[in-house]
Amino acid sequence: VLKKRLVKLVVNFLFYFRTDEAEPIGALLLEHCRITKEEENVFSISFIEEPERKYCFECDSEEQCQEWIEALKRASYEFMRRSLIFYRNEIQKMTGKDPLEQYGISEEARFQLGTHKP
Amino acid sequence: MKLNERSVAHYATCDSPTDHAGFLRKRVERHHHHAHHHHSTSYQRRWFVLKGNLLFYFEERESREPMGLVVLEGCTVELCEAAEEFAFAIRFDDAGARAYVLVADGQAAMEAWVKALSRASFDYMRLVVRELEKQLEEACKSLAACCKSPRRSSSSSRKRHLSNPALLPLQEKPTMLENGYSTWGSGVPGGATCPDRDGGHAKPPPLPPRRRSAAGSAVGFPAPSLSPTMLESPVSPETDCFSKLHSWYGQEIAVLRREWQERQKRGHP
Repeated sequence: VLKKRLVKLVVNFLFYFRTDEAEPIGALLLEHCRITKEEENVFSISFIEEPERKYCFECDSEEQCQEWIEALKRASYEFMRRSLIFYRNEIQKMTGKDPLEQYGISEEARFQLGTHKP
Repeated sequence: MKLNERSVAHYATCDSPTDHAGFLRKRVERHHHHAHHHHSTSYQRRWFVLKGNLLFYFEERESREPMGLVVLEGCTVELCEAAEEFAFAIRFDDAGARAYVLVADGQAAMEAWVKALSRASFDYMRLVVRELEKQLEEACKSLAACCKSPRRSSSSSRKRHLSNPALLPLQEKPTMLENGYSTWGSGVPGGATCPDRDGGHAKPPPLPPRRRSAAGSAVGFPAPSLSPTMLESPVSPETDCFSKLHSWYGQEIAVLRREWQERQKRGHP
């Protein structure tokens, strides 16, 4: 049974509301998840440790469905971190300079490649 | 409010990048209506793990599941005048939200935590990514200009060496990124008061444009509540700049391949 919900993507969380309420019913943390196109107008979110459990969402149009899929695929913090590392490397290769140096954050653990545990 | 707790717990304990971890003492917050006049503050030692914009805490280092989670959006991290030494607080713009008072083991640990937490927000990361995206585009453009066939009109662009700071648009605003701070939901940026060794004074970054339109999301149907800015400049390697990179690298590879083929012909008659 599909229930009508207001769905809001805020940073790496997907909040969902009953359409007439201000407080969300719940949220999904969008890390380590997979966004899949299902049938027409429908996409699903599933998580790495429980891949068979799918949270399904039906959109009003195929276009809207694609927009959501694209947005959700980019929504995780980990995705952004990878993008940042990618851009940093590319800029370094092209210009010979580390673009993070001018901001004094080039040594920040979160911008380094690979996992790191202190 | 429901949360996909199992996935969250899994994320907390898996081996995805940990940005900081360590023991901290966490102040136990008593409810205001539990009104006794003796201020007995107590602290509990917990194992804290920072991953991205999420601060998890565990009862013990070996615990399989986190006890709790603090989402580091719309907050400031400040040194705190508690009776305890090496105390700092995470405070939220939302007046109703409780603050977290945490105590580190020493000066160095406290500074490391404050620094790590100050830059932990998703919004801060997004800011940095957008800037780098712009810089990469700039770098691509001037490289493309350099690589084009030499005509008189392009000589001025060739003069622009890539290390020229004029190419890096953000030089005039370094403090914006040194004190990463963001608001969430509210329209008023506060000041980041975290002391920064680098010498940058606390200046809040400009409010990202999406904040003003986010509040007006349509009710009644799933609407992509995304700012136009987010859709225009997607945070991903698949920007059209990437295709420019492809063609630029492609030229280099074509040259290398020709050279290799020449060598092959000479080496293997």
